Amino acid sequence: MTPEPASGATLASLLFVLLAIFSAALFFAITAIRRLRHERDELIHQKDVIFGFIHDVGDVFAHSENIDLERMLDRVLFYAVRTTKASAGAIYLFDKSEGLFRARSVSGIFPPLTGSVESAVSTAVSKSQAVEQLVRSQRVARGEGLIGETADFGTPILIEDAARDPRVPTYQLDFLKIHSILLVPMRFLQKILGVIVVVNRVDARPFIQADLSLLQALADQASVSVHYAGLRDSLNEKQRIDHDLNVARQIQTALLPRAIPRLPGLEMAAFTHSAQEIGGDYYDFIHIDDDHIGIAIADVSGKGIVGAIMMSISRSVLRAQATMSTDPTEVLKGVNRIMFEDIAEDMFVSMLYMVLNTQTLELRVARAGHERPILVQSHDKHCQIIDSAGVALGMADRDGFDTLLTETSIVLSPGDTLVAYTDGVTEALNGQGDEWGADQLFETIHQAAPNGAHAVINTVQHQLERFVGGIAQYDDMTLLALQVAHDYKSTL
Amino acid sequence: MRECEIKREERDNLDIVRLDGALDSHSFPRLESTLNGLRDGQRHRVILDCSGLEYISSASLGALIGFARRAREHQGDLRLVNLSPKIYNIVELLGFHKILEIHGNIDEALAKFGE
Repeated sequence: MTPEPASGATLASLLFVLLAIFSAALFFAITAIRRLRHERDELIHQKDVIFGFIHDVGDVFAHSENIDLERMLDRVLFYAVRTTKASAGAIYLFDKSEGLFRARSVSGIFPPLTGSVESAVSTAVSKSQAVEQLVRSQRVARGEGLIGETADFGTPILIEDAARDPRVPTYQLDFLKIHSILLVPMRFLQKILGVIVVVNRVDARPFIQADLSLLQALADQASVSVHYAGLRDSLNEKQRIDHDLNVARQIQTALLPRAIPRLPGLEMAAFTHSAQEIGGDYYDFIHIDDDHIGIAIADVSGKGIVGAIMMSISRSVLRAQATMSTDPTEVLKGVNRIMFEDIAEDMFVSMLYMVLNTQTLELRVARAGHERPILVQSHDKHCQIIDSAGVALGMADRDGFDTLLTETSIVLSPGDTLVAYTDGVTEALNGQGDEWGADQLFETIHQAAPNGAHAVINTVQHQLERFVGGIAQYDDMTLLALQVAHDYKSTL
Repeated sequence: MRECEIKREERDNLDIVRLDGALDSHSFPRLESTLNGLRDGQRHRVILDCSGLEYISSASLGALIGFARRAREHQGDLRLVNLSPKIYNIVELLGFHKILEIHGNIDEALAKFGE
C-alpha cells in the first residue's frame, strides 16, 4: 500500500498545532521576560532601598557625638520606620535602675504589645496621644512578651502573619491592629541595650527577610552610638550635680560666721566639714545684747541646693527672732511658727539653741530635735548630757511644737566646757562601714577638754580624720565648743 | 547598705507594709510609690513594720510624717511598729515619737486601729 497523500484538512490542523506550540512558547517566553524584568525591577528597587539605607545610616550617625540620647533614638527610629516601610515603630531601652525595658522613642500609632488597653484608648480625645502615653508609661520585664523574648535571646523575631501568632496581642480597634511585626535586638559588647520594633508595612504586605536584615544592620550601628550617648548623658548628669553641689557649698560657706566672737573670759571654737552630698549643717553665734550671746547649731534634712536654701532661711529667721528674747524656747517657738507655714511638709531642721548670760554664766538650753549637748565640768571632768524635750522645726504646728518644747537651765563654772555637734560627727563612717560613735566622741572630748575649746575642736577633727581615713562622707560634720576661762571673773 | 525590700500585705481594712534593709534617698522613692498607691486607693490605715529596718535617713522620716498627716486627714493613720533601739533613738532624738504613733508590735497597732 502506498501512503495516502495528506489531505488539505490534515495539513491545516498540523499547521494549527505548530502555531499553537509557537504561540505557547512565545507566551511563556514573554511571561518569562516579564518575570525577569519584574525581578530586575525588584532588585533595582532593593538596591535603591539599600543605597538609601546606607545613606540614612551615614545621616543618622553623622555628628552623633554631639546629640543627646533622646534625639539620637528619634533619628534611628525615623530611619528604621522609613527603611522597612513600617507604619509605626518604637525603641525600647533597658533601664538599669529599674531593671526593666521602657519605650524611649515612639513613631506613628504604635500599638502597646501588652494588650488589654482598648477601653482607655477608645475613650480618649486624642487617640494617637493616648496610645503613645500608654506605650511610654509601660514597663517590660526581661523575658516578658515579644520585647522580652527578643532581648533575652538576643535574636530578631519576624512575624509575617500576626493573626496566627498567639504572642501578638489582638485589638478590635482598627488603628491598633497588628498585621505583621518585626523586632530586632540592640546589642553592644554582649550586652542587650534595647529592642527596635516596627509594625505593619504601609503597603499592607508582610515584612520580609530583607526588612529584617536591614533593620538589624541599623540596630547594630545604632547600638554603638546609644552606648556612648548613654555614657555621655550620665557624665553630663554628674557634671550638673557637681555644679549644684558647688553652688550649695558656696551658699553654705557664705552663711557661716566669718569669725567667732571674742568675749572676755570665754573661749569659743568651731569646725564644719562639708560632705560630698552637702547636708546643710550650720552654726551661728548671735549677739543679743551686751550680756547675752545666742549659740546655735542646726542640721537641715534636705541636701544640695534645696538644703542650702533651707539653711539660709533658718539662719535668717533665727537671727530675726533671737534678738527679741533671751528665752531660747520663745525664740525657737517663733522660728517654728514661721517655718511650719513656709517650708515643704516633709522637710525639717533640727536645731539646738542656747542663750548664755556672759555675766552670770547662766546657760539656757532649748533643743528642737537636735543632738543633746555635752558638758564637761571642771571639778570632776565627767561628760554629762544636757537633755530637754522638743521636736525638730517645721514638723509640728504651733500648738504641738510649743507644748512639747521644754528648757533646761544650768550655771556654768570657770573651766567648764560645753560641746554641741551634728549627727554627721557620730555617724562618720570608715572604710569598713563602722560608725565613729558617740562613745568615741565623748572619750575624745573628755581627754581634750582640760586644754581648752580649741583643743577640743582640733583633737576631735584630728581623730575623725584618722578614723575615716579619706573615705568620702555622706553627711556634713559640725562641732562647736565653748569653755569658761579658769580665771573667769564676773564683771558684775 | 542593703537595698530596702518592701512587702505589702492587705488585711480587711488596713495594710501592713514590711521594710527590710536601709531607707535612704536611693530606696525611699519605692516606699513612697507604695504609700502613694495606698492613698490613691483610699487605703489610709497603714502599719509600717520596721523589724527589718537597719537605717533610715532623716529625709525619709520627714516624708513618713507627711504620709501620716495626710492619712489622719482621712481618719486613718500611719503607725510604726517593731522599731530597733537604733531606729527608735533616731526617731526619739528628733522628737518624732511625739508626732508619729509608735507601737511595740503589729497586734498593739491593730488593737489601736480597732478602737
